Amino acid sequence: MFQFRPLPWEYGVRNLLRRPSRSALTLGALATVVLLVFVVVGFIRGLERSLAVSGDPSVMLVYSLAAEESIENSSIAARTSGLISASLDGIQKRFGVTHVSPELYLGTRVAAGDQQHGALGLVRGVTDAVPLVRRQVRLVDGTWPGPGEVLVGNLAPAKLGYDPEELAVGNTVAFEGRTWPISGRFVAGGSALESEIWCRLPDFQQALKRQDLSVVALLLKDGAAPAEVELFCARHRDLGLRAVGETAYYDSLQKHYLPVRMVAWLVVFLVAGAGVFAGLNMMYGAVAGRIREVATLQAVGYRRRAILLSLIQEGALLSAAASLLAGVAALWLLNGMAVRFTMGAFTLRVDSAALLIGCGTGLLLGVLGAIPPAIKALRLPVAESLKAI
Amino acid sequence: MSVKSWGMMLLTATAAIGCGEADRQTATTPANGSGSPDAAYVLTAEPTGSLGVGEVRSSAAEDVTVVGRIGGSAQPFVNGLAVFTIVDPAVPYCADDEGCPTPWDYCCAQNQVKENIATVEIVDDRGQPVAKDAKALLGVKELSTVVVHGKARRDEQGNLTVLASKVYVKK
Repeated sequence: MFQFRPLPWEYGVRNLLRRPSRSALTLGALATVVLLVFVVVGFIRGLERSLAVSGDPSVMLVYSLAAEESIENSSIAARTSGLISASLDGIQKRFGVTHVSPELYLGTRVAAGDQQHGALGLVRGVTDAVPLVRRQVRLVDGTWPGPGEVLVGNLAPAKLGYDPEELAVGNTVAFEGRTWPISGRFVAGGSALESEIWCRLPDFQQALKRQDLSVVALLLKDGAAPAEVELFCARHRDLGLRAVGETAYYDSLQKHYLPVRMVAWLVVFLVAGAGVFAGLNMMYGAVAGRIREVATLQAVGYRRRAILLSLIQEGALLSAAASLLAGVAALWLLNGMAVRFTMGAFTLRVDSAALLIGCGTGLLLGVLGAIPPAIKALRLPVAESLKAI
Repeated sequence: MSVKSWGMMLLTATAAIGCGEADRQTATTPANGSGSPDAAYVLTAEPTGSLGVGEVRSSAAEDVTVVGRIGGSAQPFVNGLAVFTIVDPAVPYCADDEGCPTPWDYCCAQNQVKENIATVEIVDDRGQPVAKDAKALLGVKELSTVVVHGKARRDEQGNLTVLASKVYVKK
Protein backbone atom coordinates (compact mmCIF):
# COMPACT_ATOMS: atom_id res chain seq x y z
CA MET A 1 0.00 0.00 0.00
CA PHE A 2 3.01 2.27 0.60
CA GLN A 3 4.64 1.26 -2.69
CA PHE A 4 5.66 4.23 -4.85
CA ARG A 5 3.48 4.30 -8.00
CA PRO A 6 4.67 6.82 -10.63
CA LEU A 7 2.43 8.22 -13.34
CA PRO A 8 2.80 6.43 -16.68
CA TRP A 9 5.63 7.75 -18.88
CA GLU A 10 3.16 8.33 -21.72
CA TYR A 11 1.10 10.66 -19.50
CA GLY A 12 3.82 13.31 -19.47
CA VAL A 13 4.56 12.92 -23.19
CA ARG A 14 0.85 13.20 -24.09
CA ASN A 15 0.51 16.27 -21.86
CA LEU A 16 3.16 18.05 -23.91
CA LEU A 17 1.29 17.27 -27.14
CA ARG A 18 -2.07 18.33 -25.64
CA ARG A 19 -0.87 21.96 -25.55
CA PRO A 20 1.23 22.17 -28.73
CA SER A 21 1.52 25.96 -28.96
CA ARG A 22 2.58 26.39 -25.30
CA SER A 23 5.02 23.47 -25.64
CA ALA A 24 6.44 24.93 -28.89
CA LEU A 25 6.90 28.36 -27.26
CA THR A 26 8.68 26.85 -24.24
CA LEU A 27 10.82 24.74 -26.59
CA GLY A 28 11.78 27.83 -28.60
CA ALA A 29 12.63 29.85 -25.48
CA LEU A 30 14.78 27.05 -24.03
CA ALA A 31 16.53 26.43 -27.38
CA THR A 32 17.38 30.14 -27.68
CA VAL A 33 18.85 30.20 -24.17
CA VAL A 34 20.94 27.08 -24.85
CA LEU A 35 22.10 28.51 -28.20
CA LEU A 36 23.27 31.67 -26.40
CA VAL A 37 25.21 29.48 -23.98
CA PHE A 38 26.79 27.70 -26.99
CA VAL A 39 27.83 31.06 -28.48
CA VAL A 40 29.61 32.16 -25.29
CA VAL A 41 31.18 28.77 -24.51
CA GLY A 42 32.21 28.40 -28.19
CA PHE A 43 33.88 31.82 -27.94
CA ILE A 44 35.82 30.84 -24.81
CA ARG A 45 36.83 27.43 -26.19
CA GLY A 46 37.89 28.98 -29.53
CA LEU A 47 40.02 31.65 -27.84
CA GLU A 48 41.63 29.11 -25.52
CA ARG A 49 42.38 26.72 -28.37
CA SER A 50 43.81 29.45 -30.59
CA LEU A 51 46.29 30.45 -27.89
CA ALA A 52 47.01 26.83 -26.92
CA VAL A 53 47.96 25.72 -30.45
CA SER A 54 49.96 28.88 -31.11
CA GLY A 55 52.97 27.77 -29.11
CA ASP A 56 55.56 25.21 -30.21
CA PRO A 57 57.51 23.93 -27.16
CA SER A 58 60.70 23.64 -29.24
CA VAL A 59 60.58 27.24 -30.46
CA MET A 60 62.18 30.15 -28.61
CA LEU A 61 61.42 33.78 -29.37
CA VAL A 62 64.17 36.36 -28.97
CA TYR A 63 62.96 39.96 -28.89
CA SER A 64 63.55 43.31 -27.28
CA LEU A 65 63.85 43.60 -23.52
CA ALA A 66 62.09 46.96 -23.73
CA ALA A 67 59.06 45.49 -25.50
CA GLU A 68 57.68 43.96 -22.28
CA GLU A 69 55.35 41.18 -23.46
CA SER A 70 54.41 42.62 -26.85
CA ILE A 71 56.39 41.55 -29.90
CA GLU A 72 54.67 44.28 -31.98
CA ASN A 73 56.61 46.88 -29.96
CA SER A 74 59.94 45.08 -30.28
CA SER A 75 62.88 46.42 -32.25
CA ILE A 76 66.17 44.53 -32.28
CA ALA A 77 69.31 44.84 -34.36
CA ALA A 78 69.30 43.05 -37.72
CA ARG A 79 72.62 41.37 -36.81
CA THR A 80 70.92 39.53 -33.91
CA SER A 81 69.86 36.69 -36.17
CA GLY A 82 73.41 36.04 -37.42
CA LEU A 83 74.87 36.37 -33.92
CA ILE A 84 72.42 33.83 -32.51
CA SER A 85 73.05 31.37 -35.34
CA ALA A 86 76.80 31.62 -34.82
CA SER A 87 76.78 31.55 -31.01
CA LEU A 88 74.38 28.81 -29.97
CA ASP A 89 74.92 25.07 -30.31
CA GLY A 90 71.41 24.08 -29.28
CA ILE A 91 69.69 25.31 -32.45
CA GLN A 92 68.41 22.71 -34.91
CA LYS A 93 70.58 22.49 -38.00
CA ARG A 94 69.95 20.30 -41.03
CA PHE A 95 71.78 20.12 -44.35
CA GLY A 96 73.85 23.13 -43.31
CA VAL A 97 70.78 25.30 -42.68
CA THR A 98 70.31 26.70 -39.18
CA HIS A 99 66.64 26.86 -38.17
CA VAL A 100 66.51 30.54 -37.29
CA SER A 101 63.81 32.85 -38.59
CA PRO A 102 64.37 36.63 -38.47
CA GLU A 103 61.02 38.42 -38.64
CA LEU A 104 59.64 41.94 -38.76
CA TYR A 105 56.13 42.10 -37.32
CA LEU A 106 53.76 45.03 -37.46
CA GLY A 107 50.11 45.95 -37.03
CA THR A 108 49.16 48.24 -39.91
CA ARG A 109 46.18 49.27 -42.05
CA VAL A 110 45.59 46.82 -44.87
CA ALA A 111 43.15 47.52 -47.73
CA ALA A 112 41.87 44.82 -50.06
CA GLY A 113 41.66 45.51 -53.81
CA ASP A 114 40.55 49.05 -54.66
CA GLN A 115 39.22 49.89 -51.22
CA GLN A 116 40.35 53.25 -49.89
CA HIS A 117 40.14 52.63 -46.16
CA GLY A 118 41.80 49.53 -44.87
CA ALA A 119 41.33 47.66 -41.64
CA LEU A 120 43.95 47.00 -38.98
CA GLY A 121 45.84 43.87 -39.98
CA LEU A 122 48.96 42.02 -38.90
CA VAL A 123 51.86 41.79 -41.37
CA ARG A 124 55.01 39.71 -40.87
CA GLY A 125 58.12 40.04 -43.01
CA VAL A 126 59.75 36.61 -43.24
CA THR A 127 62.58 34.77 -44.97
CA ASP A 128 62.65 31.36 -46.63
CA ALA A 129 63.71 29.91 -43.25
CA VAL A 130 60.32 30.58 -41.64
CA PRO A 131 58.71 27.18 -42.48
CA LEU A 132 61.66 25.47 -40.75
CA VAL A 133 60.70 27.14 -37.47
CA ARG A 134 56.94 27.73 -37.83
CA ARG A 135 56.27 24.07 -38.44
CA GLN A 136 52.46 24.21 -38.32
CA VAL A 137 52.30 26.42 -41.42
CA ARG A 138 51.01 24.77 -44.62
CA LEU A 139 50.62 26.41 -48.02
CA VAL A 140 47.12 25.39 -49.18
CA ASP A 141 46.71 27.52 -52.29
CA GLY A 142 49.02 29.34 -54.73
CA THR A 143 52.77 29.70 -54.35
CA TRP A 144 55.39 31.05 -51.94
CA PRO A 145 55.60 34.87 -52.31
CA GLY A 146 58.08 36.27 -54.79
CA PRO A 147 59.45 39.84 -54.66
CA GLY A 148 56.64 42.29 -53.82
CA GLU A 149 54.07 39.52 -53.22
CA VAL A 150 52.25 38.40 -50.09
CA LEU A 151 50.94 35.19 -48.58
CA VAL A 152 47.59 35.48 -46.80
CA GLY A 153 46.60 33.47 -43.72
CA ASN A 154 43.30 31.61 -43.78
CA LEU A 155 41.86 33.77 -40.97
CA ALA A 156 43.26 37.07 -42.29
CA PRO A 157 39.95 37.99 -44.02
CA ALA A 158 38.15 37.57 -40.66
CA LYS A 159 40.78 39.66 -38.87
CA LEU A 160 40.40 42.41 -41.50
CA GLY A 161 36.62 42.10 -41.75
CA TYR A 162 36.73 41.25 -45.47
CA ASP A 163 35.02 38.58 -47.49
CA PRO A 164 37.46 35.66 -48.14
CA GLU A 165 36.92 36.21 -51.89
CA GLU A 166 38.44 39.68 -51.60
CA LEU A 167 41.71 38.17 -50.41
CA ALA A 168 41.77 35.30 -52.94
CA VAL A 169 44.98 34.35 -54.74
CA GLY A 170 45.53 36.72 -57.69
CA ASN A 171 43.90 39.73 -55.96
CA THR A 172 45.88 42.51 -54.35
CA VAL A 173 46.17 44.14 -50.93
CA ALA A 174 47.59 47.57 -50.14
CA PHE A 175 49.60 48.53 -47.08
CA GLU A 176 52.46 50.86 -46.23
CA GLY A 177 51.99 52.75 -49.51
CA ARG A 178 52.42 49.73 -51.77
CA THR A 179 50.15 47.33 -53.61
CA TRP A 180 51.01 43.69 -53.04
CA PRO A 181 49.68 40.85 -55.26
CA ILE A 182 48.49 37.80 -53.29
CA SER A 183 50.54 34.76 -54.33
CA GLY A 184 49.11 32.16 -51.96
CA ARG A 185 47.11 31.22 -48.89
CA PHE A 186 48.30 29.35 -45.81
CA VAL A 187 46.88 27.62 -42.75
CA ALA A 188 48.61 27.26 -39.39
CA GLY A 189 46.44 24.86 -37.40
CA GLY A 190 44.15 27.64 -36.18
CA SER A 191 47.03 29.41 -34.42
CA ALA A 192 47.51 33.17 -34.17
CA LEU A 193 49.80 33.07 -37.25
CA GLU A 194 46.80 32.17 -39.41
CA SER A 195 45.33 35.68 -39.16
CA GLU A 196 48.48 37.32 -40.53
CA ILE A 197 49.74 38.43 -43.94
CA TRP A 198 53.29 37.41 -44.78
CA CYS A 199 55.68 39.03 -47.23
CA ARG A 200 59.42 38.81 -47.86
CA LEU A 201 61.49 40.44 -45.10
CA PRO A 202 63.61 42.69 -47.39
CA ASP A 203 60.48 43.96 -49.16
CA PHE A 204 58.80 44.80 -45.86
CA GLN A 205 61.93 46.49 -44.48
CA GLN A 206 62.12 48.56 -47.66
CA ALA A 207 58.45 49.53 -47.48
CA LEU A 208 58.81 50.56 -43.83
CA LYS A 209 62.24 52.16 -44.35
CA ARG A 210 63.46 50.06 -41.43
CA GLN A 211 66.56 47.90 -41.09
CA ASP A 212 65.74 46.26 -37.78
CA LEU A 213 63.83 43.13 -36.78
CA SER A 214 61.00 42.53 -34.33
CA VAL A 215 61.78 38.98 -33.32
CA VAL A 216 64.09 36.08 -34.06
CA ALA A 217 62.33 32.72 -33.77
CA LEU A 218 64.53 29.66 -33.47
CA LEU A 219 63.95 25.93 -33.29
CA LEU A 220 65.86 24.07 -30.58
CA LYS A 221 67.39 20.63 -31.10
CA ASP A 222 65.72 17.76 -29.27
CA GLY A 223 66.90 17.88 -25.66
CA ALA A 224 68.55 21.30 -26.00
CA ALA A 225 68.03 23.56 -23.00
CA PRO A 226 66.18 26.86 -23.50
CA ALA A 227 68.51 28.24 -20.78
CA GLU A 228 71.28 28.42 -23.40
CA VAL A 229 69.32 31.06 -25.31
CA GLU A 230 68.49 32.97 -22.12
CA LEU A 231 72.19 32.85 -21.18
CA PHE A 232 73.10 34.33 -24.58
CA CYS A 233 70.71 37.23 -23.91
CA ALA A 234 72.09 37.78 -20.39
CA ARG A 235 75.68 37.84 -21.68
CA HIS A 236 74.85 40.29 -24.50
CA ARG A 237 73.16 43.03 -22.51
CA ASP A 238 74.16 45.62 -25.13
CA LEU A 239 71.68 44.01 -27.55
CA GLY A 240 68.83 44.42 -25.04
CA LEU A 241 67.36 41.00 -25.74
CA ARG A 242 65.10 38.62 -23.88
CA ALA A 243 64.31 35.01 -24.72
CA VAL A 244 60.97 33.38 -24.08
CA GLY A 245 59.67 29.97 -25.08
CA GLU A 246 56.87 30.32 -27.62
CA THR A 247 54.56 28.27 -25.40
CA ALA A 248 55.33 30.51 -22.40
CA TYR A 249 54.71 33.59 -24.56
CA TYR A 250 51.21 32.45 -25.50
CA ASP A 251 50.60 31.24 -21.92
CA SER A 252 51.25 34.81 -20.80
CA LEU A 253 48.68 35.99 -23.37
CA GLN A 254 46.24 33.43 -21.92
CA LYS A 255 46.70 35.15 -18.56
CA HIS A 256 46.25 38.50 -20.28
CA TYR A 257 42.87 37.37 -21.60
CA LEU A 258 41.80 35.82 -18.28
CA PRO A 259 39.45 38.73 -17.43
CA VAL A 260 37.78 38.33 -20.85
CA ARG A 261 37.25 34.63 -20.19
CA MET A 262 35.95 35.30 -16.69
CA VAL A 263 33.46 37.84 -18.02
CA ALA A 264 32.41 35.35 -20.71
CA TRP A 265 31.75 32.72 -18.00
CA LEU A 266 29.77 35.31 -16.06
CA VAL A 267 27.70 35.85 -19.22
CA VAL A 268 27.07 32.08 -19.35
CA PHE A 269 25.77 32.23 -15.75
CA LEU A 270 23.64 35.30 -16.47
CA VAL A 271 22.19 33.83 -19.67
CA ALA A 272 21.47 30.55 -17.88
CA GLY A 273 19.96 32.52 -14.97
CA ALA A 274 17.73 34.47 -17.33
CA GLY A 275 16.77 31.16 -18.93
CA VAL A 276 15.80 29.68 -15.56
CA PHE A 277 13.59 32.68 -14.78
CA ALA A 278 11.98 32.51 -18.24
CA GLY A 279 11.49 28.77 -17.78
CA LEU A 280 10.03 29.29 -14.30
CA ASN A 281 7.61 31.85 -15.69
CA MET A 282 6.47 29.49 -18.46
CA MET A 283 6.18 26.54 -16.09
CA TYR A 284 4.24 28.58 -13.48
CA GLY A 285 1.80 29.49 -16.27
CA ALA A 286 1.62 25.90 -17.46
CA VAL A 287 1.06 24.43 -13.99
CA ALA A 288 -1.36 27.18 -12.88
CA GLY A 289 -3.74 26.09 -15.64
CA ARG A 290 -3.58 22.50 -14.45
CA ILE A 291 -4.39 22.86 -10.75
CA ARG A 292 -7.61 20.83 -11.10
CA GLU A 293 -5.80 18.14 -13.04
CA VAL A 294 -3.10 17.90 -10.36
CA ALA A 295 -5.76 17.74 -7.63
CA THR A 296 -7.68 15.06 -9.54
CA LEU A 297 -4.53 12.96 -9.81
CA GLN A 298 -4.08 13.28 -6.03
CA ALA A 299 -7.77 12.40 -5.48
CA VAL A 300 -7.48 9.17 -7.50
CA GLY A 301 -4.54 8.09 -5.37
CA TYR A 302 -1.32 9.32 -6.96
CA ARG A 303 1.17 10.55 -4.40
CA ARG A 304 2.53 14.10 -4.61
CA ARG A 305 6.07 12.99 -5.49
CA ALA A 306 4.70 10.88 -8.39
CA ILE A 307 2.98 13.98 -9.80
CA LEU A 308 6.10 16.08 -9.15
CA LEU A 309 8.17 13.49 -11.02
CA SER A 310 5.77 13.62 -13.97
CA LEU A 311 5.97 17.43 -14.13
CA ILE A 312 9.80 17.28 -13.98
CA GLN A 313 9.65 14.66 -16.73
CA GLU A 314 7.76 17.11 -18.94
CA GLY A 315 10.30 19.87 -18.24
CA ALA A 316 13.23 17.51 -18.84
CA LEU A 317 11.74 16.25 -22.13
CA LEU A 318 11.24 19.80 -23.41
CA SER A 319 14.68 20.96 -22.36
CA ALA A 320 16.36 17.85 -23.83
CA ALA A 321 14.63 18.48 -27.16
CA ALA A 322 15.62 22.17 -26.96
CA SER A 323 19.24 21.26 -26.16
CA LEU A 324 19.36 18.90 -29.15
CA LEU A 325 17.91 21.55 -31.46
CA ALA A 326 20.33 24.19 -30.17
CA GLY A 327 23.23 21.73 -30.42
CA VAL A 328 22.47 20.96 -34.07
CA ALA A 329 22.11 24.69 -34.82
CA ALA A 330 25.38 25.47 -33.02
CA LEU A 331 27.30 22.77 -34.89
CA TRP A 332 25.81 23.84 -38.19
CA LEU A 333 25.91 27.64 -37.83
CA LEU A 334 28.46 28.52 -35.14
CA ASN A 335 31.21 25.90 -35.24
CA GLY A 336 34.18 27.24 -37.22
CA MET A 337 32.78 30.76 -37.52
CA ALA A 338 35.70 33.22 -37.61
CA VAL A 339 35.77 35.92 -34.94
CA ARG A 340 38.04 38.95 -34.92
CA PHE A 341 39.86 39.98 -31.73
CA THR A 342 42.81 42.16 -30.80
CA MET A 343 45.69 39.85 -31.64
CA GLY A 344 44.18 38.27 -34.73
CA ALA A 345 41.22 36.04 -35.34
CA PHE A 346 40.05 32.66 -34.17
CA THR A 347 37.18 30.33 -34.89
CA LEU A 348 34.27 29.58 -32.55
CA ARG A 349 34.69 26.05 -31.31
CA VAL A 350 31.65 23.94 -30.45
CA ASP A 351 33.59 20.90 -29.22
CA SER A 352 32.66 18.09 -26.85
CA ALA A 353 33.21 20.28 -23.77
CA ALA A 354 31.02 23.06 -25.22
CA LEU A 355 28.29 20.52 -26.09
CA LEU A 356 28.44 19.07 -22.58
CA ILE A 357 28.17 22.51 -20.95
CA GLY A 358 25.42 23.73 -23.33
CA CYS A 359 23.27 20.60 -23.13
CA GLY A 360 23.90 20.26 -19.39
CA THR A 361 22.73 23.84 -18.86
CA GLY A 362 19.65 23.14 -21.00
CA LEU A 363 18.70 20.03 -19.04
CA LEU A 364 19.28 21.83 -15.76
CA LEU A 365 16.98 24.65 -16.89
CA GLY A 366 14.17 22.18 -17.65
CA VAL A 367 14.49 20.27 -14.39
CA LEU A 368 15.04 23.28 -12.09
CA GLY A 369 12.39 25.34 -13.88
CA ALA A 370 9.71 22.67 -13.28
CA ILE A 371 10.27 22.11 -9.56
CA PRO A 372 9.11 25.38 -7.87
CA PRO A 373 5.74 25.76 -9.72
CA ALA A 374 5.01 22.04 -9.30
CA ILE A 375 5.66 22.24 -5.55
CA LYS A 376 3.42 25.30 -5.31
CA ALA A 377 0.56 23.49 -7.09
CA LEU A 378 0.96 20.38 -4.93
CA ARG A 379 0.82 22.37 -1.67
CA LEU A 380 -2.76 23.54 -2.28
CA PRO A 381 -5.48 21.51 -0.48
CA VAL A 382 -7.06 18.91 -2.81
CA ALA A 383 -10.68 19.93 -2.08
CA GLU A 384 -9.92 23.59 -2.76
CA SER A 385 -8.00 22.79 -5.93
CA LEU A 386 -10.79 20.65 -7.33
CA LYS A 387 -13.07 23.69 -7.19
CA ALA A 388 -10.51 25.94 -8.95
CA ILE A 389 -11.55 27.38 -12.31
CA MET B 1 16.46 27.41 -7.51
CA SER B 2 15.74 30.51 -5.44
CA VAL B 3 16.73 34.07 -6.27
CA LYS B 4 18.97 34.01 -3.17
CA SER B 5 20.93 31.06 -4.57
CA TRP B 6 21.44 32.83 -7.89
CA GLY B 7 22.63 35.88 -6.01
CA MET B 8 25.22 33.74 -4.21
CA MET B 9 26.44 32.29 -7.54
CA LEU B 10 26.87 35.76 -9.02
CA LEU B 11 28.71 36.95 -5.93
CA THR B 12 31.05 33.96 -6.18
CA ALA B 13 31.76 34.71 -9.86
CA THR B 14 32.37 38.38 -9.10
CA ALA B 15 34.71 37.46 -6.26
CA ALA B 16 36.60 35.13 -8.62
CA ILE B 17 37.14 38.01 -11.06
CA GLY B 18 38.24 40.23 -8.21
CA CYS B 19 40.99 37.73 -7.38
CA GLY B 20 42.95 39.04 -10.38
CA GLU B 21 43.63 42.25 -8.47
CA ALA B 22 44.93 40.31 -5.50
CA ASP B 23 47.29 38.38 -7.79
CA ARG B 24 48.63 41.62 -9.21
CA GLN B 25 49.28 42.98 -5.77
CA THR B 26 51.13 39.81 -4.80
CA ALA B 27 53.36 40.27 -7.85
CA THR B 28 54.68 43.56 -6.49
CA THR B 29 56.45 41.69 -3.71
CA PRO B 30 59.63 39.96 -4.87
CA ALA B 31 59.48 36.19 -4.65
CA ASN B 32 61.33 34.80 -1.70
CA GLY B 33 64.39 32.72 -2.35
CA SER B 34 63.06 29.20 -2.00
CA GLY B 35 64.54 26.78 0.53
CA SER B 36 67.89 27.09 2.26
CA PRO B 37 70.88 28.16 0.19
CA ASP B 38 73.60 25.70 -0.83
CA ALA B 39 76.54 26.40 1.52
CA ALA B 40 79.02 25.37 -1.20
CA TYR B 41 78.18 28.52 -3.17
CA VAL B 42 77.49 31.03 -0.40
CA LEU B 43 80.15 33.03 1.47
CA THR B 44 79.56 33.59 5.17
CA ALA B 45 81.81 36.66 5.38
CA GLU B 46 81.59 39.68 3.12
CA PRO B 47 84.63 40.05 0.84
CA THR B 48 86.51 43.30 1.40
CA GLY B 49 87.28 45.97 -1.18
CA SER B 50 84.12 45.58 -3.20
CA LEU B 51 83.35 48.12 -5.94
CA GLY B 52 80.09 49.09 -7.60
CA VAL B 53 79.25 47.59 -10.98
CA GLY B 54 79.82 50.91 -12.78
CA GLU B 55 83.38 51.20 -11.44
CA VAL B 56 84.24 47.63 -12.29
CA ARG B 57 82.92 48.06 -15.85
CA SER B 58 85.23 51.01 -16.41
CA SER B 59 88.27 49.25 -14.96
CA ALA B 60 90.40 46.63 -16.70
CA ALA B 61 90.99 44.40 -13.67
CA GLU B 62 90.58 40.67 -14.16
CA ASP B 63 90.05 39.68 -10.53
CA VAL B 64 87.14 41.73 -9.29
CA THR B 65 84.97 42.08 -6.20
CA VAL B 66 81.71 43.68 -7.21
CA VAL B 67 78.62 44.65 -5.27
CA GLY B 68 75.22 45.02 -6.88
CA ARG B 69 71.48 44.51 -6.58
CA ILE B 70 69.85 41.69 -8.50
CA GLY B 71 67.75 43.27 -11.25
CA GLY B 72 68.03 45.21 -14.48
CA SER B 73 65.05 43.60 -16.23
CA ALA B 74 61.69 42.12 -15.34
CA GLN B 75 63.30 38.67 -15.24
CA PRO B 76 66.89 39.07 -14.03
CA PHE B 77 67.35 35.33 -13.40
CA VAL B 78 68.12 32.78 -16.15
CA ASN B 79 65.77 29.83 -15.72
CA GLY B 80 67.59 26.60 -14.93
CA LEU B 81 71.04 28.18 -14.50
CA ALA B 82 72.74 29.99 -11.64
CA VAL B 83 73.02 33.16 -13.71
CA PHE B 84 71.57 36.59 -13.00
CA THR B 85 72.17 40.25 -13.66
CA ILE B 86 73.12 42.84 -11.03
CA VAL B 87 72.90 46.62 -11.09
CA ASP B 88 75.13 49.12 -9.29
CA PRO B 89 73.57 49.99 -5.89
CA ALA B 90 74.03 53.68 -6.76
CA VAL B 91 71.30 53.37 -9.41
CA PRO B 92 67.91 54.01 -7.82
CA TYR B 93 64.99 51.67 -8.39
CA CYS B 94 61.31 52.55 -8.17
CA ALA B 95 60.27 53.38 -4.61
CA ASP B 96 57.62 51.21 -2.94
CA ASP B 97 55.07 54.05 -2.90
CA GLU B 98 55.25 54.37 -6.71
CA GLY B 99 53.32 51.13 -7.00
CA CYS B 100 55.61 49.62 -9.65
CA PRO B 101 54.83 45.89 -9.88
CA THR B 102 58.44 45.01 -10.83
CA PRO B 103 60.76 47.63 -9.28
CA TRP B 104 63.78 45.41 -10.01
CA ASP B 105 63.49 46.19 -13.74
CA TYR B 106 64.66 49.77 -13.03
CA CYS B 107 62.13 51.00 -15.58
CA CYS B 108 62.56 54.59 -14.34
CA ALA B 109 66.35 54.53 -14.79
CA GLN B 110 66.99 52.40 -17.88
CA ASN B 111 69.56 54.86 -19.28
CA GLN B 112 71.64 54.55 -16.09
CA VAL B 113 71.30 50.77 -16.09
CA LYS B 114 73.08 50.40 -19.45
CA GLU B 115 76.43 51.43 -17.99
CA ASN B 116 75.88 49.91 -14.55
CA ILE B 117 74.87 46.32 -15.16
CA ALA B 118 76.80 43.06 -15.09
CA THR B 119 75.96 39.41 -15.56
CA VAL B 120 76.97 37.06 -12.74
CA GLU B 121 77.55 33.40 -13.55
CA ILE B 122 78.05 30.96 -10.69
CA VAL B 123 80.38 28.42 -12.25
CA ASP B 124 81.45 24.91 -11.33
CA ASP B 125 84.96 23.40 -11.41
CA ARG B 126 84.86 23.22 -15.23
CA GLY B 127 83.95 26.88 -15.53
CA GLN B 128 80.39 26.11 -16.67
CA PRO B 129 77.32 27.79 -15.11
CA VAL B 130 75.81 25.63 -12.36
CA ALA B 131 72.61 24.04 -13.71
CA LYS B 132 70.32 25.17 -10.89
CA ASP B 133 68.17 28.26 -10.43
CA ALA B 134 70.11 30.95 -8.56
CA LYS B 135 67.12 31.63 -6.31
CA ALA B 136 67.24 28.11 -4.91
CA LEU B 137 71.03 27.80 -4.97
CA LEU B 138 71.81 31.05 -3.17
CA GLY B 139 68.56 31.88 -1.40
CA VAL B 140 68.32 35.23 -3.18
CA LYS B 141 65.48 37.14 -4.77
CA GLU B 142 65.00 40.20 -6.94
CA LEU B 143 66.66 43.30 -5.42
CA SER B 144 68.82 41.21 -3.06
CA THR B 145 72.22 42.87 -2.64
CA VAL B 146 75.11 40.53 -3.37
CA VAL B 147 78.90 40.80 -3.26
CA VAL B 148 80.64 38.67 -5.86
CA HIS B 149 84.32 37.89 -6.16
CA GLY B 150 85.44 36.32 -9.42
CA LYS B 151 86.99 36.63 -12.85
CA ALA B 152 85.79 39.47 -15.06
CA ARG B 153 85.09 38.81 -18.73
CA ARG B 154 84.54 41.79 -20.99
CA ASP B 155 83.63 41.85 -24.67
CA GLU B 156 84.11 44.51 -27.34
CA GLN B 157 80.61 45.85 -26.77
CA GLY B 158 81.42 46.62 -23.12
CA ASN B 159 79.37 43.79 -21.60
CA LEU B 160 80.73 42.62 -18.26
CA THR B 161 80.32 39.06 -17.00
CA VAL B 162 81.67 37.98 -13.62
CA LEU B 163 82.45 34.29 -13.28
CA ALA B 164 82.27 33.45 -9.59
CA SER B 165 82.26 30.31 -7.53
CA LYS B 166 80.77 31.87 -4.39
CA VAL B 167 78.54 34.79 -3.55
CA TYR B 168 77.97 36.79 -0.37
CA VAL B 169 74.33 37.73 0.14
CA LYS B 170 73.84 40.91 2.19
CA LYS B 171 71.09 40.68 4.79
